[in-house]
Amino acid sequence: MNSISQLWRTTTVRLTALFILIFVVFSVILLGYVGFQSSIELQRLQARDVNWEVRQFENLYERRGMRALAIAVQRLATQPGPGIYYFGKPDGEMIAGNFHAMPVDVLANAGQYSFTYSPDIAFDRRNAPPPTNRDEERQDHEREGKLAHAVVRTIILEGDFRLVVGRDIVQRRNFTQIIVRTMSLGVVGIIILSAIAGGLTARRVLKRINAVNKTSNEIRSGNMSQRVPVTKRNDEFDQLAIGLNDMLDRIEQLMQGLKEVTDNVAHDLKPPLTRLRNRAEAALRDGRTDEEHRQALESTIVESDRLISTFNGLLLIARLEAGSNSEALSPLNLSEIVADVGELYAPVIEDAGGVLETDIQNDITFNANRELLAQALVNLLENAIKYALNGEHANARDGNEKITLSLTRHAQQIQIIVADNGPGIPAQDRVHVLERFVRLEKSRTETGSGLGLALVSAVVQLHKGSITIEDNEPGVRAVISIPTP
Amino acid sequence: MKILLIEDDREAASYLIQALDEAGHVTHHASDGETGYAMASGMDYDVLIIDRMLPRRDGISIIESLRAEDNKTPVLILSALGEVEDRVTDLRSGGDDYLTKPYAFSELLARIEVLARRLNPAEAATNYQVGDLTLDRLSRLVMRGEEKILLQPREYRLLEYLMKYSGQVVTRTMLLENVWDYHFDPQTNVIDVHMSRLRAKIDRGQKSQLLQTIRGAGYMIRE
Repeated sequence: MNSISQLWRTTTVRLTALFILIFVVFSVILLGYVGFQSSIELQRLQARDVNWEVRQFENLYERRGMRALAIAVQRLATQPGPGIYYFGKPDGEMIAGNFHAMPVDVLANAGQYSFTYSPDIAFDRRNAPPPTNRDEERQDHEREGKLAHAVVRTIILEGDFRLVVGRDIVQRRNFTQIIVRTMSLGVVGIIILSAIAGGLTARRVLKRINAVNKTSNEIRSGNMSQRVPVTKRNDEFDQLAIGLNDMLDRIEQLMQGLKEVTDNVAHDLKPPLTRLRNRAEAALRDGRTDEEHRQALESTIVESDRLISTFNGLLLIARLEAGSNSEALSPLNLSEIVADVGELYAPVIEDAGGVLETDIQNDITFNANRELLAQALVNLLENAIKYALNGEHANARDGNEKITLSLTRHAQQIQIIVADNGPGIPAQDRVHVLERFVRLEKSRTETGSGLGLALVSAVVQLHKGSITIEDNEPGVRAVISIPTP
Repeated sequence: MKILLIEDDREAASYLIQALDEAGHVTHHASDGETGYAMASGMDYDVLIIDRMLPRRDGISIIESLRAEDNKTPVLILSALGEVEDRVTDLRSGGDDYLTKPYAFSELLARIEVLARRLNPAEAATNYQVGDLTLDRLSRLVMRGEEKILLQPREYRLLEYLMKYSGQVVTRTMLLENVWDYHFDPQTNVIDVHMSRLRAKIDRGQKSQLLQTIRGAGYMIRE
């Protein structure tokens, strides 16, 4: 029962019901109109026939006399059909015809009359012709003993004879009835069919919507991995489902990001905080001289600065990954941004014993965020300096240490490459370096939050690009590819 | 210098007042927006330090009202936000500089000292001089004594900024912001590298060293 009441509540079913109602009202109006019009038309045809017959009979009477007319009337009177004929005296004595009980007032004066009569008496069965199939309608009426209705025209002939020609209108009524019956049947049929169709459609729609509801319920109860099923039809429901699923993917991604942030805060901010606290405590306990206190305080400040920068980095990455719109992109000269970063870092690299080679194509404009993009490039360069020039694995110096920064435009994309020829990263670790806080075992001794590449990755995503870490043979090559519109 | 600090965090405020006092500045304190605004518009200060989020009236609205009254006192905004967009909207409201919490005191001090000089007409001078070092802003010519010094465009801007605020400490972050227009902290000593190159160009072989490193704070150019 619940499903039926649910079905009734669906829009489809209600719409179907409304349409059925409208259709029925329309059909009834149409039916009435058709019935009325055809009745008028039949009446007109019958009147024409009657007038024509009367004129024929008058001619016949004038030219050939009473006897000829009587024969003609009798011939027509015995034919099957709705015809009513009377030729005789005004007092009701019939010479020829089929209507024995002509009312007296009809015979009194010439004119149009309509009256009801009893077919049994009027057609006087003893003289009536044997029933034929074509006479069925009238027979039906007679058998039922109902009153019939006649429309006649009376004329007065020379010698005080009366000629009455008319039609029983039972045929006309029957015709109207047939129309009404047929169309009523049609209406009932259509109501049934559309109710079934509407119900089926509603059930189908309901099924699809219930699938969405089921998914949303499961998600609400905590199963975030649920998705709305998508069929192959690609109809509006599939469009909706695809849209919802995309939204759910995004939400799941955001939730995942949030969880990671919390995990990382716990995992990577707690140890330095603990260290900070222990150091302060130790200074209080063991510090004897002012100089010792001073050193403890200075190292506390250094440690807190590092914490702050780690914290800022985490927040920035979380914000970028959440894709908040506040990080506006505007069309900028990418060549200038990259060249500026190169110019800022060239002396640093030289001081670290390397060379920065730049290959920057001019006047590449793109929707970018200067600040973030510069920061991403700075992070990549800092990494290259740290691992290729300063790192313990960069010991085997041969004087050819080189970092390259390039910006090139290809047919489909813009590429920014930061490459070094240092010790490189083992293939199995290359994917992980883009994750937050990952510092490869070899570089554990280095300082740094481990957030650098994760930030780069987030910035690249903001610019709708992708980043890959490749083997530079030897060294590492970070390739940022941003598709051009 | 006479400074007004509008800050609702009492601990941070008392620390700051004490430190500013040690640096030789007189500081008045207001702990909510309304009082702060009344003090700022009623008295003459050299610099206002305004926290962005305050009880009773927020910092941005204070600045907007002051600017509407044609009060041009330099304002340093303190904020816990610190993203690029926030900085842009805050500075648009009439603030002159922006510092994100937490910050180092030396950074704050350097910034307010520079801010206080903003209204100084000497800023608009067409040439700067420190000792026998001169910089002509029209011809972009830099001379040390009789000797012409050739600088890269960025080195020129670096020196121009230092000389504009000669005798005052300029922090690394201020240099990165004003010379390179970057608002993030690079992890390595990138500014130091550029400074040592600049120093090599202007001070090497000279008797007096003009470009000085101020430990724990930044740089200063002076006689």
